[in-house]
Amino acid sequence: MPLSGTLDVAPRLADAPKLDNYDTEAWEIAGVELLSLTFEIDDRQMTAALPPALHPTIPPVAYFSVAAYPESPIGPFALAQVRVGCRASALPRGFLLRAYSDSPAACDALGRRWGYQCLPADVRLRRYHDRVVGTVAVDGREVLRASLLDPQPISGGSIFHVSTMNLARADDDGGRGVLVQVDPAYTFHRAERGAPEVATFERDAWNAEGIELVWPVTATFVRCDTGFPRIRYVLDAQQPARTGTRKLR
Amino acid sequence: MKFGIFYEISVPRPWDPESERTVYERALEQVRLADELGFDQVWAVEHHFLEEYSHCSSPEIFLTACAVQTKRIRVGHGIVVCVPQINHPVRIAERAATLDIISGGRLEMGTGRSATWTELGAFCANPDDTKKTWDEIVRCLPKMWTQERFSHEGAAFRMPPRAILPRPYQKPHPPMWVAITSPDTEIDGADRGLGWLGLTFGGLEEQEKRIAEYRRRIKVCEPVGEVVNEQVNTVNFLYCHEDDATGVAKGRRLQGTFGYMAAQLLSAREAYPTPSYPALGLLPQLRPDADSPGDSVRVPDGLCIGSPDRIIEAIKKWESVGADRVNFLLNAMEVVPQEEVLASLRLFAKEVMPKFAKTESAEPAAVVAGGS
Repeated sequence: MPLSGTLDVAPRLADAPKLDNYDTEAWEIAGVELLSLTFEIDDRQMTAALPPALHPTIPPVAYFSVAAYPESPIGPFALAQVRVGCRASALPRGFLLRAYSDSPAACDALGRRWGYQCLPADVRLRRYHDRVVGTVAVDGREVLRASLLDPQPISGGSIFHVSTMNLARADDDGGRGVLVQVDPAYTFHRAERGAPEVATFERDAWNAEGIELVWPVTATFVRCDTGFPRIRYVLDAQQPARTGTRKLR
Repeated sequence: MKFGIFYEISVPRPWDPESERTVYERALEQVRLADELGFDQVWAVEHHFLEEYSHCSSPEIFLTACAVQTKRIRVGHGIVVCVPQINHPVRIAERAATLDIISGGRLEMGTGRSATWTELGAFCANPDDTKKTWDEIVRCLPKMWTQERFSHEGAAFRMPPRAILPRPYQKPHPPMWVAITSPDTEIDGADRGLGWLGLTFGGLEEQEKRIAEYRRRIKVCEPVGEVVNEQVNTVNFLYCHEDDATGVAKGRRLQGTFGYMAAQLLSAREAYPTPSYPALGLLPQLRPDADSPGDSVRVPDGLCIGSPDRIIEAIKKWESVGADRVNFLLNAMEVVPQEEVLASLRLFAKEVMPKFAKTESAEPAAVVAGGS
């Protein structure tokens, strides 16, 4: 059977957010701008970056994203994420290593409601005619600069955004931690594709020690309606997704 | 209705020095038995880098071994990846012709373009281009096999006049097929006079519609070769057992294991947004409604698992929707012990095969003289 993650979940749980409950209401947000980059990563970390519930992709990949949400119940915010590509059983997913937002209120809400390990930072998304640039700076130190170069229009229907798996703590997790599946829908209004470039990636700021980018795959920039849905599934982080998935609704 | 077997050559971890050899030797033993039992075809895929799922990167060598160890079964080279970064078109033609000679004219030639980023990315092939390069290459292959000298100026490749040698043993050339996975590929195949080499499991109702459209379109095709191949070749799992419950249970394990492993692949569309890959490879048909990681891999309808009677009924359904041939996957990740694979083949040949019309010897697929 396929390889499985070997991440020791316990130390990560110490910093993981605590869910209020599983009865999260959805946030549906229009006019979101979303920059996404995909890179193949060094296979030495292909299992170490993932909890035992998940399988690595072959080749292993990392997803970088920077998004601007123009409105939400806690106001506008930007959100940057670094995820590792994986499979939950047979389904494509991205396991969140860490997120940053320019809104402390968003960090709090995303953590309590959807399990995002999200810290405050200066998160910016800038669109130019020759590139789209997402940056994250923590206390003045740039920890991510990710760009899409030479954007070309494509159909949004060609884009496949993988859903996210967030490691969190919950009242009923028995101290083992849960993976929260965040699987928003997307309605695309504009989509572009280009070459990905990561000029700055400070791994220690992203729980990404050992993650080496070895091969660029692609970058996309979209304007879409999306958001954060109600939580439908949670997984035991430490057993295979096939047997450790709990359906909530 | 004709029956065949096909191979991905999946090799489960942990790997030791004997792992791959063992799987290959078992496959060859199955092929020899299939030949004796009257199966018509053996197919082998071409995949690269697909750990555990498929260690079949040089199918022409495996198929050559099949050919020299058998007498009558036809050898299906398919699909050959018609992406110039992976296979130069001349090398495709040369290898295929040699295999046709060695096998005594038993080659069936399958064509396709790969569906994973794992493969395309490694060879620096642009997923945007693979439909175009496949189209260019399938138009060239028959000319390479039949023209005294061949030259070409195209987008995928260019070359000055050369004699492409050797020439296929079959005249004018071996039957050609195209892998059918993405929507509308059946129309591509029909319009070019290529046989339908289905690579999706089950889904009788959907397949019936697509086969009907294929039949309609191929009547007015402009063939790429000198013959039209209007056969529909579907794929299925086979686990045949006297006890129906045992057969179904073990067959579902085989099907579930294959589906689970196929779902691990990084599909071209998942990694690289492109209109060239509107579908996620094998994934949607394996999990069309699944959005929970706890869902089992879907069990498609029309599977050939269970007792001989159940399998006969399944094949009759395939026959009724227009399939001419069924290729069986016999194992995945070696979850079925070799003796059970062989027993399943024997029982199928004894109880199921006689229920379907069959010719005395395997015949090539080409059925209609072409020429545009």
